[in-house]
Amino acid sequence: MRKSAKNLVKDVGFYIFIAIVCLIFAFPFYWMIITSFKIELDIFHYPPVYWPMRLTDYNYRVGLLDLWGLKSIQDSFIISSLNTLLVLAVSLPAAYALALLPVKGKGTILNWILSQRMLPPIAAAIPFFVLWNSVGWLDTYQALILTYTIFNLPLAIWLLTSYIEELPKDIHESALVDGAGHLSTLRHIIMPLIGPSIAVTALFTFIFSWNEFLFALLLTRSKIRPFTVIIPSLIGGHAILWGAISAVTLIGLIPEIILIILLQRHLVRGLTLGAIKG
Amino acid sequence: MKQSFTPYFFLLPAITLILALTIMPLIYSLYLSVTNYEMGRPHIEIRFVGLQNYIEAIMDARFLTALIRTFLFVAVVVSSEFVLGLILALALNRNFRGRNLVMILLTIPFMVAPVAVGFLWWTIFDTNYGPMNHLVVDILHLANNKISWTGDPNIALYSIMLVDIWQYTPFVMLILLAGLRSIPAEPYEAALIDGASGLALFRHITLPLLKPAILVSLLIRIIDSFKIYDLVYLLTYGGPGTATEVASFYIYLRGFKHFRISYAAALSYIILIISAILVTVLINIVRKGMRR
Repeated sequence: MRKSAKNLVKDVGFYIFIAIVCLIFAFPFYWMIITSFKIELDIFHYPPVYWPMRLTDYNYRVGLLDLWGLKSIQDSFIISSLNTLLVLAVSLPAAYALALLPVKGKGTILNWILSQRMLPPIAAAIPFFVLWNSVGWLDTYQALILTYTIFNLPLAIWLLTSYIEELPKDIHESALVDGAGHLSTLRHIIMPLIGPSIAVTALFTFIFSWNEFLFALLLTRSKIRPFTVIIPSLIGGHAILWGAISAVTLIGLIPEIILIILLQRHLVRGLTLGAIKG
Repeated sequence: MKQSFTPYFFLLPAITLILALTIMPLIYSLYLSVTNYEMGRPHIEIRFVGLQNYIEAIMDARFLTALIRTFLFVAVVVSSEFVLGLILALALNRNFRGRNLVMILLTIPFMVAPVAVGFLWWTIFDTNYGPMNHLVVDILHLANNKISWTGDPNIALYSIMLVDIWQYTPFVMLILLAGLRSIPAEPYEAALIDGASGLALFRHITLPLLKPAILVSLLIRIIDSFKIYDLVYLLTYGGPGTATEVASFYIYLRGFKHFRISYAAALSYIILIISAILVTVLINIVRKGMRR
C-alpha cells in the first residue's frame, strides 16, 4: 500500500516534468501558429494574447501572395528535390563500390569524404560566390543545386555505404556468379533491398537543402528567393509583418515536419553518420 | 582487368564532383587571399600582395574578438546542451504513455531551418510585445523593467546562446538516449545483487558504457556550433555594435558588405585551418575513447 502510493507520487512527478519539457519545446511553435492567425491588434498587444478570439486568414493572403511566400516555397522545393536527385544518382554507385568492391585506400577515401562535411560553410562561400559570379550563375537554380552537393554528398555516401555493408555478402556474390554486371546488380538487386535506406538518405538530403541559409542568401538576388532567404528579408524590409512572416514560416515548416515524422526512427544514425546506431 | 577498373568507374562521378566543388574553390580561395581583389572595383588591377591579408588578419582586433567570442559561444552552448541533454535522456529512458509524441516534438527544433527558429525567437524576445518579457517581468517577477533581449549589448549574446541551447539540447538528448538504450541490462543486474547504489551504478556502469555516445554528440555539437551564423544574422545581425559578431558573421561582413573579397578569403582560410585542427584533434580523442 505504502509502496504504491510512493510510486504514484513518483509517476505524477515524472509526468509534470514531461509536461514542462513539452511546454518549453512546443510553446514557440504554438506562438508562431497563433500569431499567423491573429489580427494586428492582437499581435501588437501587451500582455501578449495567448488565446486569440478574433482569427483571420489575412496574414496568409499577404504572406503567400503579396510577399512572395508561395514563390519562395516553390523555389526551395525545386532546389531541394533536384539536389536530392543529383546526390542520390552520384552517391549510390559510389556507395556500392565502397561497400562491395575492392577499392584501394577505401578508409582514406571515406575519411576524406567525411572531412568535407566538417568544412565551415563560410570558408567555401567566398570562392563559390566569385566563381558563380564569373560564369553568370548567381541567382540561378543550378548554382544552389550544385553548391549543396558538397555538404550533402558526403553524408549520403556514408549512410548508403553503411547500409549496403550490412547486407549479407553472398547476395552480391551470387548475383555476380549468375553473370549480372555491376550496374545491373546495383539496380536490380541492391537498390530494391535498401529501398527504405535510400528513402532515409533522400529525406536527410532534402531537409538539409531546405534548411540551408548562408549560400541561399549569398547566391540569390531577386529571381530566386528560397524560403530561408525570404524570412529575414521580410523582417528587415518592411514594417513589422509578424503575422505574414509567421504564416510564410509555418507553410515552409509543414513539409519538413511531415518528413521529420517519417524520419524519426532513423534520425540518430543519419545525424551521427552511423557512429551510433539508434 | 575489367574487374579492377570497375570500382573506380563507380566512384568517379562522386570524386569528380567533390574535387570540383571543394578542392577547386579552396585553391581558388587561397589564390584570392594573396591578392588585392575587391568586388565592384574593376579598374583596380589584381596583383599579388603576398601575406599582407594574413598579417592584417592576425592584427585585426575585431576579428580576434569575434574568434574568442565564437569559442566562448561553443563552450557555453555545448556544455549546457550536454548537461541538459543528459538529464533529459536519463529521464526519458523508460516507457511511458505518449513517449512517441514527445520524441517527435523534441526532434522538430533541431531539424527545422535555423532561420525559422531564429524568427520564432525574434518575436518571443520582442521587448514590447514578446512573451519572454511577459514571463520574466510580469509572471516570475525576475526583473522590474522590460529587458531588451537582443538589443542590450550585455545580454544579446546570451539570448542567442539560449536559442541555440533550446534548439540543440534535444539533439544531444536523442544521441545519448540511443546510447543508453544500447546498454545491456546484465551489468546493472549484477551490480544490484552486489548492493550498489543508484549513484554508483550511474558512475561505474552508465557513464563508461555511454562514453561513445557522449563523445560523438560532443564532437558533432562542437564542430557545428563553431559554424554559428544563421541565428546571429537573424536575431542581432552581429549587433548591437559588435556585441554578437562571431567569426563566420565577421567574414560575411568583410566579404559581402564591405566587398573586401581577398581579405575575407584570408580570414576564411584562418577559420578553415582552425577548424581542421579542431576536427583532427577531436576525432582522435573520439577514436581513442571508442577503443577503450
